[in-house]
Formats: sequence, C-alpha cells, structure tokens
Amino acid sequence: MDKTRKIDFATIGLRDALDLAVLIEEEAKERYEEFADSMEKHHTPAAAKFFRFMRGIEELHEAKLKGQRSELFGDARRVVTREMIYDIEAPETGEPRTHMTARAALEIALGAETKARAFFEQAIERVKDSSVGSLFEELRDEEIEHQELVRKMIAKLPPEDAGDIRDYEDPPVTL
Amino acid sequence: MKEPTVLPTYQAKDFKSELKPIWCPGCGDFGVLQAIYRALAAVGRAPHEIAFVSGIGCSSRIPGYTTAYGFNSVHGRALPIAQGIKLANPDLLVLVAGGDGDGFSIGGGHVPHAIRRNIDLTYIVMDNQIYGLTKGQLSPTSPKGLHTVTSDLGSLEEPVNPLLYTLAYGAGFVAQGTPADMAGLADIIEEAIRYPGFSLVNVQSPCVTFGEDDNQVKAHRAAMKPLSSIGHDPTNRIAAMDLAQQYGKALHTGVFFKNPSPPPTYDALVRERQRSLAEKAVPRERLLDMFVQK
Amino acid sequence: MDDLVIGMAGSGGDGIVSAGESLIAAAAYEGYHAMMTKSFGSQVRGGESSCRVRLSTRRVHNPGSTLDVAVALNWEDFLRFGAELPVSGSTVVIYESRTGVAPDKIPLVGVAPKEVFAVPISDIAKQAAGTEKAKNTVVLGLIAGWFGIAREAILRGLRKKFIKKGEELVASNERAFTMGEQWAREHPLQTPRMMDKAASHAGKKMLIDGNDMCAAAAIFSGCQFFGGYPITPSTEIMQFFTREVWKYGGAVLQAEDEIAGVGAALGASIAGKKAMTATSGPGLSLKTEIMGLASIAELPLVIVDVQRGGPSTGLPTKPEQADLFAAAFSAHGDVLRPVLAPTSVADTFDITVEAFNLAEKYQTPVLILSDQEVAQRKETVDPIDTARFTVIDRKLPTEAELKDYHRFKLTEDHVSPISHPGMKGGNYQGAGIEHNESGNPTASGKMHATMNDKRFKKLKPLQRRRDLHRIEGNPSAPLALVAWGSVAGVAKEAFDRAVAEGLDVKLFVPLLVWPIAEEIYRDFFASVKGGIVAELSHQGQLYRMLRMYVDVPAGVTSFCRSGANPIQPLEVVAKLREASMALQTPPQIPSEE
Ligand SMILES: Cc1ncc(C[n+]2csc(CCOP(=O)(O)OP(=O)(O)O)c2C)c(N)n1
Ligand code: SF4
Repeated sequence: MDKTRKIDFATIGLRDALDLAVLIEEEAKERYEEFADSMEKHHTPAAAKFFRFMRGIEELHEAKLKGQRSELFGDARRVVTREMIYDIEAPETGEPRTHMTARAALEIALGAETKARAFFEQAIERVKDSSVGSLFEELRDEEIEHQELVRKMIAKLPPEDAGDIRDYEDPPVTL
Repeated sequence: MKEPTVLPTYQAKDFKSELKPIWCPGCGDFGVLQAIYRALAAVGRAPHEIAFVSGIGCSSRIPGYTTAYGFNSVHGRALPIAQGIKLANPDLLVLVAGGDGDGFSIGGGHVPHAIRRNIDLTYIVMDNQIYGLTKGQLSPTSPKGLHTVTSDLGSLEEPVNPLLYTLAYGAGFVAQGTPADMAGLADIIEEAIRYPGFSLVNVQSPCVTFGEDDNQVKAHRAAMKPLSSIGHDPTNRIAAMDLAQQYGKALHTGVFFKNPSPPPTYDALVRERQRSLAEKAVPRERLLDMFVQK
Repeated sequence: MDDLVIGMAGSGGDGIVSAGESLIAAAAYEGYHAMMTKSFGSQVRGGESSCRVRLSTRRVHNPGSTLDVAVALNWEDFLRFGAELPVSGSTVVIYESRTGVAPDKIPLVGVAPKEVFAVPISDIAKQAAGTEKAKNTVVLGLIAGWFGIAREAILRGLRKKFIKKGEELVASNERAFTMGEQWAREHPLQTPRMMDKAASHAGKKMLIDGNDMCAAAAIFSGCQFFGGYPITPSTEIMQFFTREVWKYGGAVLQAEDEIAGVGAALGASIAGKKAMTATSGPGLSLKTEIMGLASIAELPLVIVDVQRGGPSTGLPTKPEQADLFAAAFSAHGDVLRPVLAPTSVADTFDITVEAFNLAEKYQTPVLILSDQEVAQRKETVDPIDTARFTVIDRKLPTEAELKDYHRFKLTEDHVSPISHPGMKGGNYQGAGIEHNESGNPTASGKMHATMNDKRFKKLKPLQRRRDLHRIEGNPSAPLALVAWGSVAGVAKEAFDRAVAEGLDVKLFVPLLVWPIAEEIYRDFFASVKGGIVAELSHQGQLYRMLRMYVDVPAGVTSFCRSGANPIQPLEVVAKLREASMALQTPPQIPSEE
C-alpha cells in the first residue's frame, strides 16, 4: 500500500531524506505514546509499559536524526511534512486490544519494525542519490536491529499466564 | 524533489486536541481520526473556521478530539444542526460525523433532505454495522441474519445500503474508505471536503468490542478493492450505483461518484439571494411600515 | 449478623462485578434477601468497575448506606467510586497487597476503618489457579471465609460458570476459592462477623433486575408487541422481548428511532393487541407526539421511561427522578395520561400489570416511570403468586353494538367499546383530529369540549385508588415522609428507623404519581404539620406538583438533590428529626423596639 504522498524517491536529496526520516520516527513515537495512554486508560498496564518503552526508543532515534540534519543543513527550509507519510514505522491504529498481553504488544512492535524495514528496502531500490541510498541503508539496518531487540525481548518474556481474561473480566459497559 | 513554493499553513497536529480518545484500543475510529487530521491539514483551513458536528455514539465523540469548534449533539440530529450552522455562516467549513445508527437509523430521515438541498457539508459516517455505545444492538447496516442482543435469533431485516441510497437521493459526492488504508481515507476525506456540495464518506470502521472477528481492520486490508484499481469512472453515476450494490459483499474503496459539474450549492444560492435583495431592505425599524394602510 | 453491605471496586479486567454477580446469585440460592447495584467508568471495556451487594436475612428496601466490607483491588479505581462506596469507622477493608500500600496508609481521608487487611490476592490466585486472573474467585473465598456466606452455593455457581470450558478450569477456580477462604481463616477478624443463616428457602428465590421484571410482567399481562429503540438504561426490556415474545405469538420491532418504535406499538394496539414501548429521557421527548395521538384516539398503550440523569445525554448510567414533569405534562393539548412509578424490582411486576390494566380498561396511554436504579439493580424476589392478579382486557363491542357502531359513543363510565380491524361492523376512522361519537372529524367547539370531558372523566376513578398509594404509620402523626420511585426504598428504611427512635411519623409512597390523587393526599395531610418530600431531582418535582394540586402543610418541605447523589436513609432520618424539632419550637414573639 502507498505510504507516502508527493515524495519522489528518484529525485529526493539528502536534506529531504533526513527530514523524512525524522518524521517517520516522530510518527512512530507519537503512535506508541497514544497506544500507551490508551492502554493505561483501559487497564492494560503491561502493554502500556512496553509501548511507553518503544516511544522512548523512537524518540532517541528521532533526536539522533534531528541532530544529523541540523549538523548538515542547519535550519534550511523543510519541505517534507507529516501529511506526506502514513504509518511507515508507526504500528497501525487497529492493532491494540483491551487487556492484550505483553507478548501481543511486542508482536505489534515487531510487525511495525518489519514493515518499516520493507519500506526502506523499497525506497533504496528507487533512490538515485548515493548519500540518500546510504542513509536509507543505515535506517534499514537500524530497523533490523530493532527487530532483533524486540525478538530478544519476546524470547525473554516469562511464559504466558494460563488464564484467559475473557473467563474472568466483567462484561462490557453500556453508556 | 521539486520544491513547493508555499509550505502548508497547517499540519495534522494542529487539529489534534488535548483530549485523549476513550475508544476501545483497536477501534476503527482511531484511524478515521488520523485521516481527518491529515485531510484538514491538506485543506488548510484554520481550526477556528471549522465547525464539526456529530450525533451520539462512540463515533460521535470524534469532534472532541479535534481543535475545531465541536458540537456533540443528540442522537441522529447532527445533519440538521450542521445545516443550520452552514446557512448561518457559509464561510465555515462544516464537517458532520457519526455512526451508522446515528446516520441511517434515527437520523435517516434527514439524509435525503440534506442531500437534495445540496448544502456544502461533508458527512463522515463511521459504519461498523453495530451499535457500539449502547452495547451491541442491531444496526441498520447489520447484515441479515446477524445475532445481536436485540436479534437473539438472527436479524430478519435487509440492511440499509448507504452508498446506493445516497447515490439515489442524488448526492454529488459519494465515497467509501477504511482505516485499513489511512492514506487512501485521508485523500477521500480531503476530496470530499473540497467538493462544493454535500459529500458523503462512508467509512468501514470496525468495532473491536461488538463487531465480528472477520470484520476488523486486518480483514479489511486483505479484502479492500480500490475503485481506481478496477478502472471505475467516478463521473458515471450509473456505474457507481452498479458498484454500490456490492455494499456488504465487497469492500470497494475510493470515490464512487463525483459530479463533474457540481450544481450551485444551497448556501451559495442563499448568499446570492441575500446579495441581490440587500438593496431592497428598508431600515429594520421601518419594517412594519408595509402594513400601514395608505 | 443479619445484614451485610459489601462494596468492591477494581478494573473491568479484575472481574470484580462478575464476583459480585456470583456472590449475589449464591446468596439468593441460599435464601438470603439481597440487592446489587453497579457503577462503571466511561470505557466500554477495560474501565473501572464497582458493585455493591447487600445481603440480609430480612427484606431489604435499598442498597444500604456505608459499607460493612470494602474490597479494593486497586486504590485508584476504588477511590473513583467515593459516592457509591462510602467507608466508615466500622468498615472492614480488604485490599490487594500488591498495591504496595501499608495498612495504616490506605488512601481513605478522614476515616479510620475498623479493620484493614492487605491480602496477596493475585499471588494466591496464581498459586492456586495458575493465573492471577482468578483474583475475583479468591475474593469470593475471602468473603465466604470471613463472613460465612453461601460457601456451597458459591462453589456450585463457579462450577456452573466454568464448566463450559472444562473440568480443569472448574478445579482451578475451586482451589482459588478454597485458598482465599483459608487465608481468611488464618487471619481472623478481631470482631467476628459471621452472617446468620438465611431462613431455608434454598433454590426458591428469583434474582432479577427491574427491566427484566417489567418485560416479563408485560408478557404475563398479555403484551404481544414491543416496538422500541435502544437507549440506556432501558434497552434490556427490548432485549427480553427479543428472546421471549415470539413464543407467545407476539413480535418485537427494533425500530429506526423512538418515534417509529412507539408508532409501531400504537399500530399493534389499533390492531387489537396489547403493546408496549420503552425508552429513557431523550427518547421520551421523541415519543410525545404519538402519545398525544394515543390519547385522542383513545388507544391502550404502555410506555416505559427509565429515568436517567438529564437533560439530554446527561448522566446516562445514573439514576435521577427528574422526568416527572415530562411524564405528566409533556403533552400538547389538554391531556391526562396516568403515570405509575415502581419502587423496587419486586413491585415493578405489580406496576407493569397495573399499567396494562389501566391502559386497556380506560383506553389510554399509561406511562411507567421507572429509574436507572430500580431498572438495573438486581434484587432477590420471592416467587410471585400470579393468581392474585386480574388481567383486564379492553372492552370490545357486542354483536348488537356492532350493528350500529360508534367508536366514541358517550357512555355512563365514559369508556366506549373499542373495535379493531378484522371485526365486521366495527369499522371506524381513527385520527388525531377531533372527532364526534362515530369518529368523524369535527371542528365543533362543543364536540371538542364534550370529548375532552369524556377523556378526563373516564379516568376519574383512578384518583380514588387507595391501593395505588402506600400509607404506613400512625394515621394521626404530625410528621410526614413522602417519597416515590427508587427513593421510596430509602424512605421506608428511614421511616422504620425514625419510628424506632420514637418519632411520630407516617409514610406516603404514591405508586400512581400522576394524576395527583387529591383526596388521598388531603386525608393524609390532615394531621400533618411538618415533614419532607424526599426525591432525587434538583427541583423536587413531586413536591412542586403536590403544591399545584394539594394544600401541602407549610411545615412540609422538599428534601431533594440532583441525580447520581444517592440519598441515604440516615440523612432522611436526620431531616425528619429536624422537622420534628421545628414542630416543638414555640412560635416567635415579635420583640418590641
Ligand atoms: C433519542 C435517543 N435514542 C437513543 C439513544 C441511545 N443511543 C446512543 S448512541 C446509540 C447508537 C450507537 O450506534 P451508532 O450510531 O452506530 O454509533 P457507534 O456507537 O457504533 O459509533 C443509541 C441507540 C440516544 N442517545 N438518544
Ligand atoms: S464499542 Fe466498538 S465502536 Fe465503541 S469504542 Fe469500542 S470498538 Fe469502538
């Protein structure tokens, strides 16, 4: 599915590519934050905690890219905007569930990193500018690293509690 | 990349309010909200120039999550209220939103009239085929046979077809989207807002709590068929009606119909009339003079 | 101990309300009198939830005041329900030790509960059932252990609930229950509070809420049609019909809105069937036009309005008694539409049967004015002896009358025999326009006056129905307590306490809240010098209506407050004490300057 609007990868230069990268991280950071808030509101603390953790990772990443951008281009005009990208590294809004397990939350993140990696791989195919190509390769590799990180976290999770929440929880509430 | 000469005035985040959505995690309405933020940014009107009216239902909470002037009215009456706002001040961008129950059940009587008047509104229906807020009763778009708390033995009724109905009522812009394709949905909403006249965007927006398991965002992603991919011509109303009959069976997304030569809107006609008659106005304090028997 | 009020709160995922349901079901099975109310946060799923369960060996009239036992799975959630779950100095507090709060640091400001237990609820669940999620089962074990309630019945209920998922789940929950029980035994209360045994009625009591009771009573009365639109807190009435009415040759229509719902019900009535609709505040407003039509066309129809906090969306899940004016007065034209108000789940049956009887007998719309508390609280009810009810059917025209039929014929009792489509000779034109005796349209002022007169006079006998007004206490008492709807249960307890205290007070509970039965009130107020009308609305709507129609003694004042702020029996007693004192104060002699 199309994840960008008005971005021409064949002609994109390093400055715009960096701006794009920053926005991709920002989008993911905000989404994780929304997820964490929503999980807290819906009494799903383990997932909330993990989403908050992911938010932190995306924020670090964003900061690093922002630093790179200002080092190379200072305050030069930004032409790439958030409206041009759609859920590139941000997990999709339809994914979380009330009372989801930590494992399910991690799997959402894993899916998001996988989809981001695929995005950069496709983008690399299309870019002509070599500095952009190597930036995207770097970003792709980071996605791979993130995938690994999440996989390791999943492996380290304690075995799932045998109980099924649906056997115990209260029925939904009407308003 | 070509440099744009002017940068957009507003960004999606300018339309996001402080209030955090209370919807169930995974609810389709989250995606609709994101798409609305982006569409509004693309359209570029200031938040204070937007009136966003809704009815009652889970989906009707949506205006509160934007920085527009929101009004979460009563069940089924968003359209009449929105029409009043637009006629009182045609300069406003007026958005209307709500659920399938709000729009096609209790509010159903208002739809044909808003359409035939052709007041410049954009009506976004979050169609989840169930009543969310009141806990899972049958909705007018629920498929026949569905078991719900008010159709314990299976529903006996055929559902409403929002696309076909609105096309038949003569709507100038009818589209369908899904949060499974947020970019596509944002494009559709933007186009609907830009269309001068009444526009309907029916969004297949799943209910995770009371909806069917095979009617969730993931399933939509697999099932959706963009109209552009099948070569549909959105200026052809008959072809659109033909495709609209697939509602409930196939998930077509995109613009079904967009009138290539939009007629003047009611609000524009009202303006014109006001303008042309303005000079005939006597001073207000002399309004009763006409009754004087001379 | 013969009475116990338990309040519990947690998140929806803790299943604390499910635990309450298990507890009250078990108590009912054992023969206790019990009542349960619930309260929630605004999330559909995964929000905060709470419930209060009152158990007693005697009949209870309300959900009780301060808690004897408070269970907090989480302090944040518990504190959200401050108004519903008041803790006092005699409360036993039980909470999840994982909250990390020390027993002397629990976040209840201004009260020092009698005993406080930090229980490792999740750990016990994990150890016993292999899952922390079985917390709610552990809570049941703790309660059974400390208060000696319904052990066998709870176990029986757990089996019933979990057997669908297999023996293993049953066994693990039995273990969780038993370990909870054991923990309680190992940590006894300083003052033991074992519940007395219930008089043995095992397996005899019903456990039911007001909405289900209303629907069941309607079907008992012969109602064969329901038309309505979902709205909290009335939807369960429609849901009951959805499951049951087909079996009695009836039908239910979930209409496109309230107007269509009441319209379809009116249609069924035109066709000769008993019909009903149910709604809540905003829906009542929509139905009023067609209710006017039912009045002028003299058609039997029962409309239920389950009051919630208003106006508009207001507080849709909380009780309030502020639709009384709407029920009585929201009509165009001169209309008298009887309004009946149930005060408990049990009498919702009587009220509903009465509503159908009045509708049929007098060919009129009748409103049942229930409220969120009566409609949604669960209550134990003894089996109802249905033989004591007479079910009235509308008066049909005789063969002879059908030979020369006049739908609105003026008669002695002002009720005209009513035909319906399908009856040969009974053809008439029904309409909203004013009509003459045969149903033909008229614009005659004289005919309009005659017909208005007929429509009012036929309901006159209603105002003399003493059985629709509950009066208790010393007939010549100078103090009065008046209450209606769910507050009547609070008033009843307050009344009993006040009498026990030695106050000379009498109680008046109207079941017929409109029209105001002027004579009955006049007789009641004859000896009265002071007192209160207690109700849950900002204006005190019944009090104001009484003042419109009755000479209310000046010492009788309104004790009212907005919905969702429950009135407690002790407050009512205090108000009565005040009123009694006021009667004793000598009149003030104006001092000379
Ligand atoms: C006059 C009136 N009738 C009924 C209701 C109760 N009510 C609130 S929302 C709703 C339907 C919700 O379904 P929908 O409109 O499809 O929205 P969703 O919650 O699914 O987004 C109903 C019946 C009301 N608020 N007002
Ligand atoms: S109940 Fe359904 S429609 Fe309402 S918020 Fe939850 S998922 Fe969304």
